Amino acid sequence: MSEASRDYRPGAYRSAAARTLRDTPEVRDSVGSATRTFDSLRVNAYADVDSDRWRDWARDVKGHALTHLDEYLEQAERSLVDNGAHVHWASSADDVHRVIAEVVERHGVRTVVKSKSMLSEELEVNAYLESLGVRPVETDLGEYIIQLLAEPPSHIVGPAIHRSLEDCRALFHDRLGTRLDAEPDELAAAARQALRNDFLAADLGISGGNFLAADTGTVALIENEGNIRLTTSVPRVHVALVGIEKIVPRFEDLAGLLQLTARAATGQPIGLFVSLIQGPRTAAEIDGPEEVHVVFVDNGRTTLFDDDVAWEALRCVRCGACLNICPVYRQTGGHAYGWTYSGPIGAIISPGLLGLERALPLPHASSLCGACADVCPVRIPIPELLTHWRERAVDEGFVSAGERFGMSAYAALAQRPGAFAAAGSTLRWTPWRTAGKVLPVLSGWVQERDAPTPSVRSFRDLWRAGIE
Amino acid sequence: MSNREQILTALRSARMRRPPVEHPGRFGAWRPVESPPPIEGFEVMFTQAGGEVVRVSSSAERDEWLRAFLADFERLSTGVGVPREIADFGPRIVDPGGEHAADVGISVARGAIAETGSLLMDARDGRRAQLLPPVLIVLVDSSAVHATVADALESVRDDLPAAIGLHSGPSKSADIGQVMVRGVHGPGRVIAVVA
Repeated sequence: MSEASRDYRPGAYRSAAARTLRDTPEVRDSVGSATRTFDSLRVNAYADVDSDRWRDWARDVKGHALTHLDEYLEQAERSLVDNGAHVHWASSADDVHRVIAEVVERHGVRTVVKSKSMLSEELEVNAYLESLGVRPVETDLGEYIIQLLAEPPSHIVGPAIHRSLEDCRALFHDRLGTRLDAEPDELAAAARQALRNDFLAADLGISGGNFLAADTGTVALIENEGNIRLTTSVPRVHVALVGIEKIVPRFEDLAGLLQLTARAATGQPIGLFVSLIQGPRTAAEIDGPEEVHVVFVDNGRTTLFDDDVAWEALRCVRCGACLNICPVYRQTGGHAYGWTYSGPIGAIISPGLLGLERALPLPHASSLCGACADVCPVRIPIPELLTHWRERAVDEGFVSAGERFGMSAYAALAQRPGAFAAAGSTLRWTPWRTAGKVLPVLSGWVQERDAPTPSVRSFRDLWRAGIE
Repeated sequence: MSNREQILTALRSARMRRPPVEHPGRFGAWRPVESPPPIEGFEVMFTQAGGEVVRVSSSAERDEWLRAFLADFERLSTGVGVPREIADFGPRIVDPGGEHAADVGISVARGAIAETGSLLMDARDGRRAQLLPPVLIVLVDSSAVHATVADALESVRDDLPAAIGLHSGPSKSADIGQVMVRGVHGPGRVIAVVA
């Protein structure tokens, strides 16, 4: 088990982040290099088009879909059923597991090929399949690497960005017998060979879904390797797990969303492979799955939707642009966040999906610099939603006794002018370096900083005397 | 209450509290510079992504190119719409189901897209031939090259097969140490033959 997954839960964020920086400093190098590359590619890709207009358009398509979500889900269900697909509604991970168990049972499934899906990570599908005695095989190269390492993904788009080429060489040498100094081409070829056999042997392919067009019942998937096309084309049965927020009204809406998502995620004009899946193979087709199941997954999304501020986070298209530019995410990568979705977007959806208490302190894992909001392709006001969750944490009493005491002491002081002036004068003459040694709550602050020399007179004195 | 009713009820009660957002209409591409004619735009974009484009002016010229190119291969997997004369061009044609043993595949595209350099691959031509061989040749009719993705999607929306693939270059990944490699799962070499 890896260092990062030792205490894998949001509540352990602070200690996990500190441990990552202390014990595995190379993670920061790998994550920093990958995210800076992703981000500079995005900058160029946004500049090639009228990206402001694209983003306004995408914000409104997703906003429209969300403010009519029940209607579009019903329409998507009708379209998919007309196309011959099976539709399931899952409120929880257990409901999804039951759908999978039924398919596994009925088709005698032994091996499942999977294409990268964050929703499947969220629902812990692999562990569930293993509990059924079924072998899940992740086929996205990054996801394959972390499956071999028994690690969770570190990034929404690049699950293994925290791992260096050297790490991969050692891993593949150990598991696939490649040379220790093998070039990336040779490593990829070895993985291709191993996974190709699984594609041909598997009875079931499980994918996620980037978008679901309501009018045609189309599950749209974006990728670069071709493993999603294989996962959804070669096995006899295909199960697509789709979050209910992935709905878009029209097939034609995919034109803008597929391009914008690729530009935001990796700076490409479009993913090298896009799958637009309507249902099982028709009578006119010689191959493709005979059975297609689409699972509409809630798993906390209706709770997030119920929050009159935070619901906007459901516009997210999972491009990872906010992770790539986040100065906090760049320090540690995703593992420290202790949950499937990391970085700024993880910090604003986890309180809805997991419950606020379980998600804390993630809304605080941000300096509120606002870079994430500047790059978001669907214009989610991420910093506002971070402060919203912080406010709710205070309202609901999820703050430490020390913070509560400090805030009420400040409120009492601020209502008494004499006491306020006296406290101000005390603070101006406090020797911070010494105070930091005495008061542990300050030590972290004064260790690396020199307090500026305080003014002899207070601001209020200066104001009364008339400031120039 | 069923899961379905539970989910729909929760969504209805929450969204009734919010002003509805209007659909913004058709995606308009909105590019700062004038786009080139579709066929040229396709060639530029597809080549940039690592794909290859061969332009031919007649079916005779196309067959001549295919015959020369296929001479280096042994086993060919063919799409449903590929002209049958291909059987005489050298490689042995594998049976359906045996596509993984082919060293080259050939499929007919439903169309192409200039905006993104994409080939519209229809499931009715056979998906395995489009995906399993390491080298893929795609036959495209130059009259079916659309300017934008929106145009292309509108052209197929009323006649959709079980699946459409947009293929915009060879398979790639940078998941190993952030170094770009080709041909990870799908074809590592894709050649669009535009007639």
